[in-house]
Order: sequence, then C-alpha cells, then structure tokens
Amino acid sequence: MFKRGFTVTAYLFLAPFLIAVAIFFFYAFGRALYYSFTNFDLFHPPQLIGLKPYRDVLADPFFQRALANSLVFALVTTTLQTVFALLMAVALNHRLRGMAFFRSAWYMPSITSSVVITLIFLWLFQRRGVANYLITQWQAYQPLILTFLGVFAAAQMVQVLWERARRLPVGWFDPALAAISALLALLVTWALNFTGVIGVREVPPFDYQYFADKWITLGGVKVLSIPLLVVIIQNTFTTVPTLMLFFLAGLQNIPRALYEAADIDGATPLQKLLRVTVPMLRPVTFYVVTVGLIGTMQMFDQVAVIGSAAPRETLITLAYYVYTNTFQAGAAPVNMACAAAIILALIILAMVFLQRRFFVAPEANS
Amino acid sequence: MKNLALLSLAVLASGLLSSAGAQTTIRINGYGGTDPAVVGDLINRFVKPAVAKDNITVVYQPLQGDYNQQLTTLLASGTAGDVFYVPAETLDGYVKTGKLLPLNGLVSTTPYIKTLNAAFTRNGRQYAIPKDFNTLTLVYNKDLFDEAGVPYPTNNETWTSLQQKLTTLKQKLGPDYYGLCLQPNWDRFGAFAFATGWPQFGPNGKTNLADPRFVEAFNWYTGLAKNKVGVTPSELSQDWTGGCLKTGKVAVATEGSWIVNFLRDNAPNLKFGSALLPKNPKTGQRGNFLYTVGWGVNANTKNRAAALKVLNALTSPQAQQYVLEQGLAIPSRSALTNSPYFKKNDPGAQVSRLVFEGADDGYVRAFTFGPQGQDWTKPINEALAAVLSGQRTAADALKKAQQDMATFQNR
Repeated sequence: MFKRGFTVTAYLFLAPFLIAVAIFFFYAFGRALYYSFTNFDLFHPPQLIGLKPYRDVLADPFFQRALANSLVFALVTTTLQTVFALLMAVALNHRLRGMAFFRSAWYMPSITSSVVITLIFLWLFQRRGVANYLITQWQAYQPLILTFLGVFAAAQMVQVLWERARRLPVGWFDPALAAISALLALLVTWALNFTGVIGVREVPPFDYQYFADKWITLGGVKVLSIPLLVVIIQNTFTTVPTLMLFFLAGLQNIPRALYEAADIDGATPLQKLLRVTVPMLRPVTFYVVTVGLIGTMQMFDQVAVIGSAAPRETLITLAYYVYTNTFQAGAAPVNMACAAAIILALIILAMVFLQRRFFVAPEANS
Repeated sequence: MKNLALLSLAVLASGLLSSAGAQTTIRINGYGGTDPAVVGDLINRFVKPAVAKDNITVVYQPLQGDYNQQLTTLLASGTAGDVFYVPAETLDGYVKTGKLLPLNGLVSTTPYIKTLNAAFTRNGRQYAIPKDFNTLTLVYNKDLFDEAGVPYPTNNETWTSLQQKLTTLKQKLGPDYYGLCLQPNWDRFGAFAFATGWPQFGPNGKTNLADPRFVEAFNWYTGLAKNKVGVTPSELSQDWTGGCLKTGKVAVATEGSWIVNFLRDNAPNLKFGSALLPKNPKTGQRGNFLYTVGWGVNANTKNRAAALKVLNALTSPQAQQYVLEQGLAIPSRSALTNSPYFKKNDPGAQVSRLVFEGADDGYVRAFTFGPQGQDWTKPINEALAAVLSGQRTAADALKKAQQDMATFQNR
C-alpha cells in the first residue's frame, strides 16, 4: 500500500515527461487528426471538409508510389537487418582474441551520423564512383582473376584426392593444402601474364547510373527502384550493429547446458543455430523486428539527404511525402500531409498488431 | 563603485534616447550565403542614409538553408520580416497565402524592365519589385574555336547556323571535344522551347507538350546529342554546363552572368566570349528565361509606410548602379542600358551586357513552374534525360511526358 504522499511524489517526478508527451505527442497528434479532415493550408483558418483529404491522398500517384516504396523498403530491410544482425551476434559471441576490437569496429556504422553515411554512399555510387570503378577493375582483371581461381581449385582438388588416395583424412578446405594451392595458382597466373598468354583487358569504364529512374520489375509492375536499393543496402549497413547488440544480449541468456546437450546429440553448428539459438531468441527477435519495421516505415533522413540527386518517384517514402506536402513555398496542402501521416500511423499500428497476433509464440510471452 | 555609476548613467541615457525618438525597425529577410555581406553593404551605403531622417533603422536577417521553406514557416507563424525576397519561380505559392502586399499604386513600377514586372504580376496585381535578374547567354571557349578554325558564335546565330559551327568544330577537334553542353532539364532547355513561340501554359492553364513547336525545340535540342556534338554534364562528371566549360573540352555553355565569377575562380586561364542565344529559324526570334528575385512587402506589417520607404531606397538608381558596377548582379532598371559599365571591354562586362539585352529580346519568359510548383518540370526533365542518354526515342519520350503532364495537371 502506498501512502498518498508517495503518489504525489511519483507524479512530480513523472511530470516533466508527462508534460512533454502531452504537448509534443498527444496535442500534436490531435491537431494533425483534426487538420486531416479540413482544408488547412497553413495560412487560412481551417474548415472541416470531411474525408476529401483522404480521398485526395489515396488518388495521388505520388502517395501510391510512396506507400509501395515504404512497404517494399520496410519488408526487405527488416528481413535483411534481422538476419545479418543475428549472424553477426552469433559470430561475435565466441571467445576469441581481440574480440573487443571486433565488437567496437562492427558497431562503428551505427554511431556514425546517418547523414554522413548517406553522403558517403552517394559518393560511392556516383556515375564515376567507387562502385563503378571496382566493377571496371573486375572486368579489366577478369582473365587474371579467373585463371588464379581456376588453377587454385584444380590444384586443391588434385592435392586432396592424392592425400585421400594415401588414406589420409583431409577435408576439401584444408588450410595447409590451400596455402600450397594458392602459391601455385599465383605462380601460374604470373607466368602466364609474363609470357603474354593472358593479361589485363582494355575495357571502357563501367558506366551505370545508380540514382536514375531505373526499376526492378515483376510482371511489368515496378517493385523496387535502384536508388531505393542503394538506400536499403545503406540502411542495413547502419542498423545491423544496433540490432546485433540486442541479439548479443539475448545470447547471453541462453543456458550453455542446451548447447552441451546438443553437442552430445551430435548436432552440427547449423543445427545448433536453427534448433537452439533461433527459438531461444524469439522474444528478442520479436523486439528487433518490431523496432525494425517501425524504423523503416518512418525512414526519412536518408531520402532527404539524397534529395534531388535521384528522381523523386524512385525514392519517395511515406514520411518524405508528408514532409514535402508540408514544407513548400507558401501555401501547402497540409491537410493531405496530415491525412498521409495518419494513414502511416495506422499502417504501423496494424503491422505491429498483426505481428503480435501471429508471430510471437505463447511460450515467449510467458 | 565607479562601474556602477557608469552603468546607471548608461541605463539612464538609453532610456532617454528611446523615449526621445520613436525608432521604427524594418526587418528584411533574404538569402544567406554571400547575400548578407552584399545587401548589408547596400543597406549601409544607400538605405540607412536615405531613411534615417524618418527615424527608420534597417536590419537584414538572412535565412540560411532552404529559403522558401523558412520563409513559409515565418509567414505562417507571423514572424516574417517587413520586407523580404520573393523568388519569381515560387511567387504563386506566396500569392495564395495572402501575405504578400499588392504594390500597385504604392510603388512606382514604371522604371523597371517590363518583362521583369510581368514576372511578379498575377491578375493585374504586382506583388514584388524586381531586385535584379539574370538571363541566359551563349558562353564559349575562344581557344577551342580558334583551334578548330571555326568563327566564334555571333549575336545573329540561328539554331541551324550554330549547329553547323558546332558540328564542324566537333569534326575538327575529334572525339574528346564537344560542341555544346546539354543540361537535361527545363531550366536550360525551356529557353529554346520559348524561341518557337510555344506557350508554357495554354489558355486553359494546361501545358501542351504535343504542340509541334515544343516538339521542334525538343528534337533540335536532343538531336545535338547525336554524333556527340552535344554532351550532358554528367558524362563529364559535372553537374551543370558551367562545369562542362571549365573542363576545357566543351566549346559552348548556356549560362547567365553567374558564370563569370565561377570561371574566374575555377578556370582563370580560359579565354571566354559570349553571344546572345541563337534564334529559331522559323520565328526568327530567340527565347530566354528571366531568373529574377523581387522585393515583397509583408501584408501584415505594422509599419507599412516605413517598409515602402525602405523598398524604394533598396531599388534606387544609385543603389542599382552600385550593384551593377560591383559585378554582383544585373539590376532591374531599364535606364541602366546607358550605363558606361556595359561598354567596358572585359569579358565579364560583356556577359552582363548580353544578359541585360537578353531580357528584352524575343520570347522572354519568367523562370516559373506555375501554380503547382516545381514538380511541373518533372515530365519534361525525364523526357530530356531519357532521350539524351539514349534510353528512349524522342517521339516515345514525348508521348510519355504528355501523359504524365496531363495526370499531374489534373491533380
């Protein structure tokens, strides 16, 4: 039983937070909801006009594109970042020398400002950027690289077969034999290059415009634009480390006894991952997926930084649509922006609800 | 002790001063960047002395970042300055807010170039006084023309004759050199579309991209990319035609007087000349864009009379002559045509003179997107990019552009 005084003190301590939430969330949300049923344009007193803003928004091709882009982006990015975060966490959970270094190094993308990362990616994927440069180099050095790989594979196979013929137990990827194969492959490649049999090819610079109106289509329907694909790669790159931390924390809570039992049963590493780690991490996965979905549905900054470098249709997301409809020169369709924001909120709510309903197994809730 | 006495004296003095004369402060909002220095200088030299007798002081408050966005926020919250820049291309959005004071009858608009006044007029009401402007000229690399033995472009060039000169130049100089830098967007191409007499908006307010005049301009512009006589900036890793010129590989760019300072800083050894844009062979006219910014007055200002006085001082003949001679921009008074500055022989002054002349020669239209904003340019820009990069044929791209434009304008 709390005394009256305790309750008052508690509210006093909660007050700063409650006031901030009341003003900047509930009041703002209420106003947005109200504006979404009016003809508000920032400058004239709003008048109620019913559902028209919602009809306008739903009929707007830009909104339809933004909705499709957001959904594709959210689904692809959340899947990628969850899978990679889990794999990274499992890899980092081993006791290795210099683990502290790897843990910090892998966390770097997440503490770097996303604006900075976006600028770096813009630069990497320029028409004369690093991505195109690497592809050009690959094309130019293709004969040498392929020769090296071919000789390496052949040498490795011959060695392993020979060792096995001598009844020695060696695996296909035996490191000692691989070193000899690599040395041999290097020598052969060098010799062929020196004698002029193979050499670096003259190729025109690979010229691909990443931030252009290019789409991956499925049955004639534009599914994913190339600029958005770049943003997906970039977003995955920056969010994986944060999500990895959650998985890493979750991994600490899995009893070692389970792995020992699995070892005794003769489970392979893959089986241990799929049968022990993944099920035990289910509550963490739920959290990671939820955070991922909300974050990706609201993605804005990376698109805003790329801005006019790519055609708007290829990159527009729901949050960016709301922004561009609010901040224009002079009068702006703020009612449509509010309607779109409400729709976005409803979609996120529905997603989280569905996920809660079908995704989380009963044992994880207990 | 001594400090305290001084302080109390100072407080007393300031109190006396403020009660003695009711000072009116006029706040001006404008661009950031180099503008605070330039306009601040202008205010100190010409505006403050002119309005001091009326007890008016003037403060320049630059809006850093996206000017339109910030001005919109300030206007909506009622905290915008008394006088502010109004970019012609976004005028329509501001007119709709009702926060721009119509200036008819309040300020004399007759001394300013007519096309500039028109750029700030909607339904007979003029909402801003032109501050300064720019138009496009042909800026060319003299060395490349000399090397190829082709005569420089002149002020009487037509599309056909210019194309011939550029094609010959390309043939003489080989694959690494190009005739004209072709920006794949409306803000350069539009000037050529206007030369055919094509109207940006028809009588019903709709844009017709299937108009044979538009098609003619589109085909000529994109046709230059064949045989690589024309080249897009991105093919040379540049993002505008001035950048093309800087590389020394492209003979001609279409730019305004802003290119002079850029070339001086980035390509100091490049010898450049300038000429008026070529004429369309059928109409015998050239087209051009007016890029202009005006001075607008806040409709809600409490000091309307003072704001108008400041506006007049900002655009006085002395102030404009000063702006011109500093090489900062081309001011908006038509009387400046006789300015000795234009007769100077340096290439920068030459560009300025042609930019000034271009404002009143042929089909000159304000650089504007109409009431629906910048997205209006999107169908045209996409069509230009698709054809110049060889992804579509001109006919195909124009068909799609017209469909997209119709959808956009029916929103």
